[in-house]
Amino acid sequence: MATEKTDVVIVGMGAVGGILAAELGKAGMKVVGLERGPRLTTADFNPHDELRYFQRQELRPNWKRQPVTWRPNASATAHPMTILNYGNQAGGGTVHYGTLSWRMHEDDFRARSHTIERYGASVIPEDSSLADWPLSYADLEPFYDQAEYELGVSGKAGNLQGKKIDGGNIFEAPRKRDYPLPPLLDDQSGVLFAEGARKLGYHPFSSPRAIISQPYHDRASCTYCGFCQSFGCHVGAKSSILVTKLPEADATGNFKLLTGTMCYHVKTDNSGRATGVSYYGPDGSDNTIEAEIVILSPFIYDNTRLLLLSKTDKFPNGLANSSGQLGKHVMAHIMAKVFVAYDDRFVNIYMGPSAQKHTLDDFNADNFDHKGVGFIRGAQISVSPADLEAGPIGTAMSLDPPPGTPKWGAAYRDFLAKYFTRYAALNAQTENLAYADQTIDLDPNLRDQYCMPAPRVTYDWRRPNERARVEFLMQKMEGIGHAMGATKVWRGALSPGVPGAHHEGGTRMGSDPKTSVVNRYGQTWDIPNLFVIGSSTFPSMSGFNPTLTIQALAYMSADAIAKRYKNKPGPLV
Amino acid sequence: MAKHDASRREFLVRAAVGAGAAAGAGLVPDAIAQNHEQMEGGAATPGAQHPSGSEHGAFFNHADAAMIAAFTERIMPSAPGKPGARDADVLNYIDLALAGAYAELQDFYRRGLASLDAYCRATYKESFVHLTPERQDEVLTALEEGKATGFTYPTSREFFNILRTHTMEGMFADPLYGGNKDFSGWRLVGFPGAQAVFTPTDLQNKQAFTREPMVGLQTIAKGPAGRG
Repeated sequence: MATEKTDVVIVGMGAVGGILAAELGKAGMKVVGLERGPRLTTADFNPHDELRYFQRQELRPNWKRQPVTWRPNASATAHPMTILNYGNQAGGGTVHYGTLSWRMHEDDFRARSHTIERYGASVIPEDSSLADWPLSYADLEPFYDQAEYELGVSGKAGNLQGKKIDGGNIFEAPRKRDYPLPPLLDDQSGVLFAEGARKLGYHPFSSPRAIISQPYHDRASCTYCGFCQSFGCHVGAKSSILVTKLPEADATGNFKLLTGTMCYHVKTDNSGRATGVSYYGPDGSDNTIEAEIVILSPFIYDNTRLLLLSKTDKFPNGLANSSGQLGKHVMAHIMAKVFVAYDDRFVNIYMGPSAQKHTLDDFNADNFDHKGVGFIRGAQISVSPADLEAGPIGTAMSLDPPPGTPKWGAAYRDFLAKYFTRYAALNAQTENLAYADQTIDLDPNLRDQYCMPAPRVTYDWRRPNERARVEFLMQKMEGIGHAMGATKVWRGALSPGVPGAHHEGGTRMGSDPKTSVVNRYGQTWDIPNLFVIGSSTFPSMSGFNPTLTIQALAYMSADAIAKRYKNKPGPLV
Repeated sequence: MAKHDASRREFLVRAAVGAGAAAGAGLVPDAIAQNHEQMEGGAATPGAQHPSGSEHGAFFNHADAAMIAAFTERIMPSAPGKPGARDADVLNYIDLALAGAYAELQDFYRRGLASLDAYCRATYKESFVHLTPERQDEVLTALEEGKATGFTYPTSREFFNILRTHTMEGMFADPLYGGNKDFSGWRLVGFPGAQAVFTPTDLQNKQAFTREPMVGLQTIAKGPAGRG
């Protein structure tokens, strides 16, 4: 049992924690970072091993030891989800993610207002809690820029200060300057996707990714080996927090990382102030850190769980929950898929960065007229391997054979043998709306390895607005598949309601303490020295991968803490 | 992870290929055994491969090994020029996995195999390994569709799904793990393994990628990676 004192304690050293550790350390604050997993190095990721890292998910939480349960509705029984799509090591999910690095659109930040202005309030599903963000794209633009340049993102601008540029994403919000690095090289699936999409008048482009296409900040560039999603990068070309911000944090001399530690409690006093955290050490010891500022930045489940478990007489419904909104408005992307395959050529989709290689943004956000389509908001459409990584195990798991071909036996063997090198998957990553009854709470029936109640998710994406969107996108993707000249085009199976990737929500940000948990800086309304930063604060999710927005928010919060809060502690809004 | 030695692997393969014989020659109608041979294009002679009985698997006993071998071979059948579960040594992969990384699934397998055996005996008056491939496929279909009776934990569908998943792992995981023998699974689909680099020319290639060698965790294999 140890007790120590510090200025700042950060729980979770992933996309958010690493940035705050480095930036607050530079500002002269003493930072202790708690991380339940290990701190790995680039050398640990060579050679690549699909069984270990993709199939057995070594860089993700173990779903049996650290379960998160799911049920489609409040009357169903919850069972553990068998894939926990986030990180379990220093650097968090950025160690093994697909690296898609998006700035959200201007209208993504005001999805509710924008929808009402253009289509009227009646098109928003009655039970949806769709909400605007308490900040605008313009507020976040400098921090998007900082993240792109400090971390290293490769791409091509499509909207430079209002000037549309062919070959980039012409639907993106205006940026002050181009990406720091040129786009990654196209592979054949990207070439085919771009050709097909252009025939239909769409605007495809090489997806912006946090993989360096040229040497940058003393790091080596991408080798196009294809082991990105689920894998650590064997040359350090992936701009993970592990190779970017953690070394910066170390260099400040103000940062201490405690690996193998599990925070189980946030301590508060009678005045309503956070005083620190309690955590289990790798040896099972029970320890305390006293801190002036407590920042929670694990994956979304542990934010809600920690705040609920840390309840006191003063905060009987959990910390930072005077609004009653804690654990609500959970969102997740699902991937609707259409597969394409060629008899007359190879695609070799296992080459090149594996996830969401090329994108078209024509059907995302409100980039197209939704009048009469029966749903609001859209999806990013991209080309990928079946499971965002392209090895044969993942392909056998996730490439649904076309109608008429079984999933086993000689016909399946021949299908896989022929098309493993000749197929591509089109993915629609859907902006599913927030609903108040999509929640995280504590599972009364299951505890994890620390004897803590498992987080329980109640969620089902299969709502009328979401189903209509998926059907619309499936048809668009079938059209793209045919325009790509594929021999075969067929739909993949849809998930049975379970949340897909990029789970968000639970500690929603807003401009009103009565209807939100945190302000735009992730500062809890109820406890000004307690921050929650990450995608759990997103009021809406957009059709984009969240990581760059999470990182931009982390930079913005670090800036506010270092420049304002440090000298004058108290509410930042 | 230690790789099984050759003699142990040979035992498991024999137990698999000689599935009929493994249970005792007298119980197997010759016609079925021969039919099995022809269907699978195998070169094995059951009588010559009767296991000595003195060796044991890392997890499976002889009868279990025979059932798993026959079952996984229906999921990914072997044919000339098309390596399947037997050629890739999927049985060896699963046996090692259950003794190590998947030890918590031992009871799942024990119970599933017992239910499979009971279902086959109740339905066909025969054990699974003695059924013709067509009948075995009927059984797999019944499991896949959740229609096979008598399963509790695991359910028949769960048992089928895990067997399918583990067959694919044994086909396509690095040979270090005991399957994908001689990169047979990777050769089947044309996967070149964990290549450290693809060049700009590779990325522009519209043909099969055939540059040698295939790259595994410990071994570098000779031979063409791609297929026509």
